[in-house]
Amino acid sequence: MHILHAGILDGSPVLWAESSDVSEKQSRGNVRRYEFGARHHALQKAFKSIGITSKLFRSRAFIWLPTRRNGNPIPSVYLADGSSAAKPRLEQWAIDVIKMYNDDLMTLLCMVMGRQTIIPGIIVGADLQYISDVMRMAGAMVAGQQYLPDISKKDNRYTAAWSPVLTAGYSQRFEALANSMPGSVWAIHAKSTDKIPNDSPQGILLQLLTGFTSAIVRHSVKSKPVSSRFDSIHDSWMHKLTSPIHIAFAEPDAPQMLEQTRNWHRPITVLADSPLRLCFRLEEPDVDKRTWFIRYIIQSRDDPSLMMPAADAWKAKSPVLSTSQNIKEFLLASLGQASGIFPKISTGMDGSGATWTKGCAITKEDAYDFLTGQASALEQAGYGVMFPSEWTGKGTKTRIKLKADVKAPVMKAKGILDFNTVVSFAWEVAIGDKNMSIRELQRLANAKSPLVKIRGKWMLVNTEEIQQSIKFLKKKSKDMASIKDMIMMNLGNAGADGMSELASTDIEITSKDSQIKSILHRLNDKTLLSEAKHPDGFSGKLRPYQLRGLSWLSFLKEWGLGGCLADDMGLGKTIQILALLQERIGQSKGEPFLLVCPTSVISNWHREAERFTPHLDVMIHHGSDRMTGAKFAKSALGHDMIITSYGLLHRDIKSIKKAKWSGVILDEAQNIKNPQTKQSQAARTIDAECRFALTGTPVENNVGDLWAIMEFLNPGFLGTQASFKRNFFIPIQLMQDEDASTRLKRATGPFILRRLKTDKNVISDLPEKIENKVYCQLTKEQASLYAATLKTIQDAIDSEEGIKRKGIILSALAKLKQVCDHPAIFLKDNSGMTRSGGKERSGKVIRLTEMLSEVVEAGDSALVFTQFVEMGHMLKSHIQETFGREVLFLHGGTPRKRRDEMVKKFQDAGNAHASTTRIFVISLKAGGTGLNLTAANHVFHFDRWWNPAVEDQATDRAFRIGQKKNVQVHKMICGGTLEEKIDQMIELKKDVSRKVVGTGEGWLTEMSNEDLRSVLALSADAVSGTVEAD
Amino acid sequence: MGWWYPKRRIINVKGGIKAQSRKGGSGQNWWAMRWNQVLQEYDMGARLSRGRTYARKGQVKNITIRKGAVTASVYGSSRYDVEVKITVISDAEWKNIAKAIFARPAIATQLVAGKMPEGVNDVFTSLDMNLFPRIDDMETDCTCPDWANPCKHIAAVYLLLGEEFDRDPFLIFRLRGIKRAKLLMMAGVNGNTEPDRTEPHANTIALEADPSGFWGTVRDKSSARDVGNAIIPSIPAALVKQLGSFPFWRGNDNFLASMEEIYENASKMGTRVFLGEYSKDT
Repeated sequence: MHILHAGILDGSPVLWAESSDVSEKQSRGNVRRYEFGARHHALQKAFKSIGITSKLFRSRAFIWLPTRRNGNPIPSVYLADGSSAAKPRLEQWAIDVIKMYNDDLMTLLCMVMGRQTIIPGIIVGADLQYISDVMRMAGAMVAGQQYLPDISKKDNRYTAAWSPVLTAGYSQRFEALANSMPGSVWAIHAKSTDKIPNDSPQGILLQLLTGFTSAIVRHSVKSKPVSSRFDSIHDSWMHKLTSPIHIAFAEPDAPQMLEQTRNWHRPITVLADSPLRLCFRLEEPDVDKRTWFIRYIIQSRDDPSLMMPAADAWKAKSPVLSTSQNIKEFLLASLGQASGIFPKISTGMDGSGATWTKGCAITKEDAYDFLTGQASALEQAGYGVMFPSEWTGKGTKTRIKLKADVKAPVMKAKGILDFNTVVSFAWEVAIGDKNMSIRELQRLANAKSPLVKIRGKWMLVNTEEIQQSIKFLKKKSKDMASIKDMIMMNLGNAGADGMSELASTDIEITSKDSQIKSILHRLNDKTLLSEAKHPDGFSGKLRPYQLRGLSWLSFLKEWGLGGCLADDMGLGKTIQILALLQERIGQSKGEPFLLVCPTSVISNWHREAERFTPHLDVMIHHGSDRMTGAKFAKSALGHDMIITSYGLLHRDIKSIKKAKWSGVILDEAQNIKNPQTKQSQAARTIDAECRFALTGTPVENNVGDLWAIMEFLNPGFLGTQASFKRNFFIPIQLMQDEDASTRLKRATGPFILRRLKTDKNVISDLPEKIENKVYCQLTKEQASLYAATLKTIQDAIDSEEGIKRKGIILSALAKLKQVCDHPAIFLKDNSGMTRSGGKERSGKVIRLTEMLSEVVEAGDSALVFTQFVEMGHMLKSHIQETFGREVLFLHGGTPRKRRDEMVKKFQDAGNAHASTTRIFVISLKAGGTGLNLTAANHVFHFDRWWNPAVEDQATDRAFRIGQKKNVQVHKMICGGTLEEKIDQMIELKKDVSRKVVGTGEGWLTEMSNEDLRSVLALSADAVSGTVEAD
Repeated sequence: MGWWYPKRRIINVKGGIKAQSRKGGSGQNWWAMRWNQVLQEYDMGARLSRGRTYARKGQVKNITIRKGAVTASVYGSSRYDVEVKITVISDAEWKNIAKAIFARPAIATQLVAGKMPEGVNDVFTSLDMNLFPRIDDMETDCTCPDWANPCKHIAAVYLLLGEEFDRDPFLIFRLRGIKRAKLLMMAGVNGNTEPDRTEPHANTIALEADPSGFWGTVRDKSSARDVGNAIIPSIPAALVKQLGSFPFWRGNDNFLASMEEIYENASKMGTRVFLGEYSKDT
């Protein structure tokens, strides 16, 4: 495991890492080597593993680290043992560092964005993330062109540079960024010294920001030959400003040039560096008056709540805004600059004494220009702009709304409405909530003043939109459409079908037809969902919210629409889908459903189907003996549901497409979020009447991932990928365009159903403790180890009796359980979590990792119990490396003090910020009693203790007084192994009496050889259906 | 007309100051015309257009402006030194001018913001003075053998100066005897102390030993830092355009045109970096 760090050495970023492989204690000179510091070769390997393969520049450096009184350095969180240190001090340590080319560095820092790990085992340190954020800020400033060509000077060396200009919003962000700079960013230096660093975070940040700004601009220039002879210093400067590599600006006249450059910058920097800023406040005219007014106000940058009218400041009555800067000069310069953007400022300045310092009077037309363009231009230039309260933000513009009244269907096929039924419309246009006739609209359009007073309220309307809607109304080109198009239009997706000119117009569809009304209603408002009837023959009880989910699924299925069920983990997505399929039972078979899921949950689906829908005909399409081609298609037709994996979806797509499907269901649908992957493409090519996607991650919040899933569910609905990027992704991601965001939510909302455990109408349906069984698959390695172990055990059982037999059985149970957990703890050979090439070795670990990723995504916390201490160690480091966050581990050997600290840390994290997910691995024996871990709302039993009482006791660590959330218990079971059989036996006995089972696992030893054999046996499907069988 | 001279090759100058306005030499702005008007008053004939060609080609090097005088080297068939002396306005007169300027905020705001205000000369004429020198305010000299004064070398320097006043109106104030800060002071608006951007942050702190502050905390999406938004402006290179061309630009490419291209391309790259989409290989 490596934790990548970044810091500043001689003004530019360097990288280094902490490694879990402790190096031997050594010294460099009289400075000790930091034992967790990765050596150069390890660093190089780590960078190679994440795809950075070009030349790295090695060097050595020294770093000041917090150090305990006993002389041991305190590593960053993932390596720390977590015990607190009394009064640490800074000491100097030797480390290896690496510099890389700028393009590699930029690539790395992009990789880091939004992630805690780059790949499992390569964790992002807080300082690396920090520097990545600095680059992101530079990216935003370069995109917004907030920088100037410049010359920078350091230790009498000059370089051509692009300097950021910190106007309004950026100066505050800059300060916030400087104040949150981790110390490790500036603790590195080249030479051993006895002086503890004393520096200015602002200075360091400016240097970093300038460096990144320069690097980004340089890399945007098309490469050109490097030259060294220039006709003038200006040519040299220009060349070095645009060279992708950094060349010194070593001209003899560089100092004079620097001075000239700074003088040239002056008109901008004098305002950008000022502690004040000028704001413009638009004021509506008084009743019966025509003039609007823009008032000048001076604001303090440090404390934006400090404001005063410019007129007062001019008269030097300025108690609040005391500043070294001359306010008069500031005001003159600001107004002079701003008049370039809003010329009205200077007209009418002359003549009337000092009233010009108050502001300027403008006409309605000027106010319109100000609202629609100049205000934002002024804001961009760093001025403040204020509107009357009801004008704030985007609300300033009153949207035009098209209203369509849907008449009865034009033609009813067999009296039933379906997706393709054609309906007719009557159109109306409204501005705000006032209906407008064509004549009224025409008058507005002719008025040329888009600032109109409607019902005593000033409204800003878009003349272009008015023109378009007039044209549209006159043409009446679209007064008939299919129900499908109607639904699209209703969801704001008019651009889909020949109405692109209205793409951004709001459309509201109403109807008096009861059937249409009900479709529109149910689409627009999911709270109207009624509870479906409990399906006959479904052997399980659906909770009320699940019945509502079922009714939603049935509704979409009826209309041939696709939907994404995105309920929180544990709310029973599987059971809702199974209930939907139960409706098939008793009807003529027809075409089957295809269910695609990750390999790791195939057996889970299989077993849940057996349990809840025993009459459902399920076929698993998985394993080396699976059918293909026409044979597959034929066989599929005789079943209700075919389960397969994502890997096979892509590999066997030809066979899959040979069969006909009444529906396709994607479980863990985030697997297709990247539209370019083969499985995503394959999923979209399958023809089916209805499509569903299941996921526990909040897809609706991730704009980038939404397109692929919606394209699978309702093809063409969000337009092409390119138009989606243009209409939604860019405006939302880049400009935080609320409008686009709302439109997207509105368009996709009806097709996504996400309930959280914390939802009011869900929580009341939920028991406080929900128990789930999680069926996992073995890996090939596990299956063959299991078979081999079984053989030696069975020979022994047959030949021994009495105490000896009991002993053999108990150790056999332990061994097989270890195999189910992970081959390495069975083999006891430290052979590692994965095989070379990252190949997984344990089906349970795969599944646990998948489920924990949902826990992390949701900001929940979890306890993971195992009875094997070695397993606990492995899980701790595996989870830590996968998610890049600290994982606590408690076992029998943990000292009491440390144990208390961990418990406190875990509980505190739960109370503090929702984003600090905690995962706590506990060895079952250590954690059985006495702990209070109510911060957790997930409990995983990684392996089973064949005694429900012991498990319950562990579960109660989280589920006890003080728990405010529902607790989900996940019991992990390897399908087809002793774990599943024993679980079944416990289930049977549990109902009779817990006492039968007693307190230990001894009861198992009482079984006959024959019974025992069948309990321990490995089922055929566990062998053929291993994780690798794709 | 110089046709009775033997035709001599003009020295090919590298890195000279080049007229930046697209039409070369003669700026289109009123103050440039106003400035250049003086040349029109002399009957220069073809010397003026030769001078314009010189200014466009970059035959002028090293313009120095100081109180009351401009010196420059111009390369024709050999190197010539040009000096333009301009009558300085006295401090007493400047005081009146300063008051008059700052009584008219429309002019004062432009000037303080570094722009040449429309109508600034009206202020001068109202006091019976001129910002732009007239013929009798000037004395020109060139080391060239041309008998005519002003010669084409002087014309070239003169035209280039006109362009620079566009960028920084205080250059002409300086030439006529007053610096920016002093003018502001005379008007009762104290010139501020200039911010020193080379060492902006003198406040230092010592590195702390507390492990959590030292190592920092990794943030996830919900607590991500606000680093701004990548919004590409509709007018490229607005900041540079606001400043105008670089003083006495001697580069081979037109400064503002080059900047516009750089800023536009950089915006796209900045967006990619902001989104985390930059990768060396794409």
